[in-house]
Amino acid sequence: MHHLSPVRTLLLLITIVVLAAACRAEDEAAEDPADDVVDDPAAEEPAEDDEDDAAEDLEDADEVDEDAVADVEFDEPGVSPEPCPDAVNEDNGCLYLGVLSDLTEGPFSAAGPVIQQAQEAFFQRVNEQGGVGGYDIDISTYVRDNLYQPEQQAQVWDEIRDDVLALGMSLGSAPTLAIMDDLEDNDVVTVPATWNSDWPFQEVIAETGTNYCFESMNSVDYYLQEENPDAESVMVVYFPQDFGQDGAAAIELAAEANDLEFFGVETPEGADNQGEAIGRIMAEDPDMVMIYAGPEETAALVGESAAQGYEGRFIGATPTWNVALLDTAAADALSELYINQSYWPVFGADTPGHEAMREALGDPERGSDFSTAGWTHSYPMLEALEAVAESDEDFSRSAVMEAFQSLEEVDYEGMLPEGAGNYAAEPQERALRESNFNVPDPDEPSGLAPVEEFFVGDTAAEHDFDQPCIDFYE
Amino acid sequence: MSTFAQSIISGLGQGSAYAMLAVGFVIIFKSTGVISFAQPALMAAGATLVSYLVFQFGLGFPAAVAVGVLVLAGVGLGLERVALRPLVGRPVFVAAIVTLGLDTAIRAVTNRFIGPDLRPVGDPWGYDRLELGPLFLQHRYLAMIVTAAIVLAALFTFFRYSRVGLAMRATAFDQETSLAQGISVGAVFALSWALAAGLATLAGVFVAAGSGVSQGTWVVGLKALPAIVLGGLDSLPGAVVGGLAVGVVEALVQTYQPVHAPWLGGNFSLVAPYVLMLLVLLVRPYGLFGTPEIRRV
Repeated sequence: MHHLSPVRTLLLLITIVVLAAACRAEDEAAEDPADDVVDDPAAEEPAEDDEDDAAEDLEDADEVDEDAVADVEFDEPGVSPEPCPDAVNEDNGCLYLGVLSDLTEGPFSAAGPVIQQAQEAFFQRVNEQGGVGGYDIDISTYVRDNLYQPEQQAQVWDEIRDDVLALGMSLGSAPTLAIMDDLEDNDVVTVPATWNSDWPFQEVIAETGTNYCFESMNSVDYYLQEENPDAESVMVVYFPQDFGQDGAAAIELAAEANDLEFFGVETPEGADNQGEAIGRIMAEDPDMVMIYAGPEETAALVGESAAQGYEGRFIGATPTWNVALLDTAAADALSELYINQSYWPVFGADTPGHEAMREALGDPERGSDFSTAGWTHSYPMLEALEAVAESDEDFSRSAVMEAFQSLEEVDYEGMLPEGAGNYAAEPQERALRESNFNVPDPDEPSGLAPVEEFFVGDTAAEHDFDQPCIDFYE
Repeated sequence: MSTFAQSIISGLGQGSAYAMLAVGFVIIFKSTGVISFAQPALMAAGATLVSYLVFQFGLGFPAAVAVGVLVLAGVGLGLERVALRPLVGRPVFVAAIVTLGLDTAIRAVTNRFIGPDLRPVGDPWGYDRLELGPLFLQHRYLAMIVTAAIVLAALFTFFRYSRVGLAMRATAFDQETSLAQGISVGAVFALSWALAAGLATLAGVFVAAGSGVSQGTWVVGLKALPAIVLGGLDSLPGAVVGGLAVGVVEALVQTYQPVHAPWLGGNFSLVAPYVLMLLVLLVRPYGLFGTPEIRRV
């Protein structure tokens, strides 16, 4: 048997301590206000204060979690007469909302903590305004990492399923679908952080924003209407996931509706794997390319295509953008060729909701539209809870479900158009069809400046939405 | 014809990065008999460090790369000393599993530093390119090819003519005899890890040039695996040829397969290096330049 010598053991321990310290130092650096000083060299690099703070806050949430969970008493799942951990209103009871999100290792782990931070800020504001019906809202205690994996989602859902009133967030279509039956069986209203066109057809899902289907149609129509009425062809480069397939199917529908030649190019993750897609762009030379991929892939697609002489228009779905793209070699090409489509006006927009969000997040110099997602998506849940409070019923899952399904409009404080949030309606009326278009702008907090808000093209307006677009995917 | 030549050029550029990674794998394998699965994580860590050195500490890109290579070489040295040296004498399978653990640990730490955004490495090339008649060569690919050629030539010279290089070759050939001749086999192990980590950093910088380093960049490091098997696990020239072959095959398949063999499906280029590897192994089970292992049975 080979034993470690004391020296080796010491070296091993020192290494572990150094690694842990490195993690810690990084977090503390993110917290340090000095990071925000303009003349600090760090200010020249991609700002991540918002996101790093989000990760920090999540760790704090985990610490709260350890202490709080064991002693909570529930009248109904997620409904406690006792105050929330770190309660704003000590006399209030507590409504616990669960969160199943991609927080550490999954493909959207960059988004999950940011969304979570925005939701915590949203309900902190609600609590500071007195809470809802004698209760504060807690969205920090029952937070679990789903790794963006359906199996993991099922496991972590099982951990919290008896302790939450509703799911304040479930990130990912596939993970959400993995527990859909159980959510329906237990009347668990669920807020998704995806824009799958299947959601308006699901009874427990409280989706917010325009889905992939209508955003694709609007992107084609916007390009034809505002930029190039003589366009002849359109290409979609997309990830082989619901996100990409939903959008690709809708681009094909829009191409048919507008007599455009259509090219669909499935592409894998990774900037170094975009060669085939770039080759197809150069070979087919479409007038417009819609991208359903991540920021890294977007940089490669736009940057390399432009370097090879492509001069058409790129329109990217919301997740294609990251403010750090402005610091990459693709920045010039993006500024010239790229338009971003977003489900809501971008982080720096001038609506009461946006202003409240920025204030609640501490008016960061740089912001992410995943913050906008977390904040915006919280409104329907709040309205459903308020509707229960205004009724004679006690808080319970079934009461929240009934209230949610009766909502005919949600007050998004201007972040979404009038009439948004009609969950009582059929999908045809319920689904939002407005898109927002933005261009790269380094002076904006999220690196995007709006050029068109709440645009609805003819294709989206006239589309008979009686089934999800992904059903058309072949 | 120009399309074909263009694919070859692009492939050689990308393949240069794979070659540097593959050489790192082979150096460790030759000296220790272990395939280090920590190489992809070291690659991402190195690129991330360079990003910090450029943007956080204001170093120029060349200086940042030099410092990054040296620091990661030190990290490689430390990892070998702390995590691998105690396993000398244990089955190499155990050490390989430990490198998997190291990969996970290094990635976890690196991801914290990368954060949710892309991190540009501050390279001066961007997507600029050199026009060569009907062909073009991106500056970053040119830089990759030139750097890889210089570094690999220096490595070969080091192994061929220096005393330490000779000691490393002797250790790779026979550890016990090397020990008997007074060679510090432990030091050779540590040096091999340092060299591999430094090469991984260089490769990482080139991989991240243009679009930046992200939490998913480490995956590129896995492309060195078909390269080393293809070239021969214990052959440095084989690693270079294998890396370049993987890059070229990827580029050619990306160009021609969607047109001439669409029935193979989308993105077959991801699979193509492994198909090539299998074909080579059918003919040469020890890879193109690997040493046939003969055992008495």
